[in-house]
Amino acid sequence: MRMDEPNHQQALDAAVDAALPSPQPGAGAVVQHSFLTAILRSVQQRSIEQRVLAGFGLVFAGILVISVISYRNMTVLIRNGHQDQRSHEFIQLLDAMGEAMDDAENGHRRFLVTGDESYLTAYNTLRERAPEFARYLRELTSPESSQGAHVTHLAQLITQQLQEERNAIELRNKTGFEGVRGMALTGVAKASLDAARKLQAQMEQEENKALAQRVIESTSTTRSSIILLSIGALLLFVLLAAVYYLIRHDITARRRIAAELQRRGELLEAANKELEAFSYSVSHDLRAPLRHIDGYASLLAKATAVSLDDKAKRYLHTISEAATRMGQLIDDLLVFSRMGRQEMLHGTVNLDQLIAAVLHDLRHDLQDRTISWKIAQLPDVTGDAAMMRQVFVNLIANAIKFTSTQPNATIEIGSRSDGPNEAVLFVRDNGVGFDMQYANKLFGVFQRLHRADEFEGTGIGLANVRRIIHRHGGKSWAEGALGKGATFYVSLPLARPST
Amino acid sequence: MTLSKPIVLAEDNPRDAELTLAAMEEHQLADKVILCHDGAEVLDYLYCRGPFKTRLQGNPAVVLLDLKMPKVDGLEVLRTIKNDADLRPIPVVMLTSSREERDLAESYALGANAYVVKPVEFHQFLKAVKELGVFWGMINEPPPEGAGRAAGRSA
Repeated sequence: MRMDEPNHQQALDAAVDAALPSPQPGAGAVVQHSFLTAILRSVQQRSIEQRVLAGFGLVFAGILVISVISYRNMTVLIRNGHQDQRSHEFIQLLDAMGEAMDDAENGHRRFLVTGDESYLTAYNTLRERAPEFARYLRELTSPESSQGAHVTHLAQLITQQLQEERNAIELRNKTGFEGVRGMALTGVAKASLDAARKLQAQMEQEENKALAQRVIESTSTTRSSIILLSIGALLLFVLLAAVYYLIRHDITARRRIAAELQRRGELLEAANKELEAFSYSVSHDLRAPLRHIDGYASLLAKATAVSLDDKAKRYLHTISEAATRMGQLIDDLLVFSRMGRQEMLHGTVNLDQLIAAVLHDLRHDLQDRTISWKIAQLPDVTGDAAMMRQVFVNLIANAIKFTSTQPNATIEIGSRSDGPNEAVLFVRDNGVGFDMQYANKLFGVFQRLHRADEFEGTGIGLANVRRIIHRHGGKSWAEGALGKGATFYVSLPLARPST
Repeated sequence: MTLSKPIVLAEDNPRDAELTLAAMEEHQLADKVILCHDGAEVLDYLYCRGPFKTRLQGNPAVVLLDLKMPKVDGLEVLRTIKNDADLRPIPVVMLTSSREERDLAESYALGANAYVVKPVEFHQFLKAVKELGVFWGMINEPPPEGAGRAAGRSA
């Protein structure tokens, strides 16, 4: 795992470099660089889940920003499109109106000359449609804009033209051609018509200018949208690639770990089988020669009982003793090895009963000893009863053994609760104790803190205790001081109260 | 109580055999011991064949079986004895170095009558073998001849 870190880091660097603008040379570069480093460092400290989440967060944030900007740009384009259409309609309408006004004036002049009412059709049409024209124009503009004011002005000019023309028609009807000859030659509403035409041209120009401006705006909006989408897509792609890399890297690592675990499991199983075969053969084959050593040494001692001197007898005795001790060591080692492999039976263990039974079994070791016992009520624990028994036989036998030099021996067995699921049990004595600097050695296989002639034993008891407690998911430790006794602690899972 | 029936001792290791016989000697049981050096020899004795063709008919008082033996091992001999109606009543005591649980379990499952782990310490070994010899050879009343067949018929 560790070996892959730099590789991982490079990919991250690349992703971050791609996602952020590269630092500009100059004064800002230092600041920006340290800022980048800070970001990188904070990224490195996160777990894979947090990094992936951050990556996806950035992607979604990017999508959101792009969506908002795109939506705004689209709105602008659509609005401009609508407004363009209105502008075109507006201009068409203005043209149509101009034509209608011209037609009305021309027809009107012909009427003034000929008196033929059929020439007034255009005039009548204009009169009928003038309010409609004005309304349409107003609808196509906003009242506050300059075009709005122009529309109002234009409507006034049309009204003025129509008014002047109607006055001329009435005059023609009363006085005949002669009364309106001058008017007919110059045109009745020439001034207002000219003003109207001028205004109309100005309005058209303004509208065309607005149109052109909108075209520029639309074009730039479209271009910026395309650029934004391209950059956004690129950024998102880079981010997604980084996230993909992170996930793939993680999955690869996990797969490798799983494969490695499986491999090690298989190795462990093979090793266990081998160990079992080994201890089986130790059990069978190693003991026989020891039995022979002791057996023949004893037979020799018996056969030569008369002829051998005391020194030679002592030698033979030592041979027998050594063989016996080695037999004991082998037995202890086998028990220890079995303790690690033996299947555990889980059940509720009543420690009060268990301690009472252990003390009953140990009563032979207690002959002619006066020990004051302080045994508190103990909780029920979960575990293998036989193994638990082994633990307390070892701890209590140790306490009895190491208080043997103490005239007023006291052994205390108690418990304290350590959270809702765990109990800490202890066996305390006021025996010879031990130096705390050797506290860790106490639980080792065949580790002893006393000479063989001080206290007997092979030194396997506490190793067994530790192994059993460890297999139950608990801990074992000891406190003590030279000459001031020792306390051995074990933590065990509490029994669940039956409901 | 006099020992009329022999004790069959299956032991491939000559030293163990010698030590066991030395232990038996203490109670004048040694001359009743038939020593077999492997499982095949035990079966030869029980079925009166090979070197034991001419022996007196009748089952031994007890068979002391080592587990690990050449040719036919102890568990195989035990299985053969307990599967044979004629031999089934013979008490079989496993006398072995192994304290392994699976050996114990398998022996009892096959019908062993006792299981004794040879102690490393000679004095304890002496005591154990002597007690075995005395109990199975003198105290225990061996099954009458044809006990297995009789039980088989009545069953």
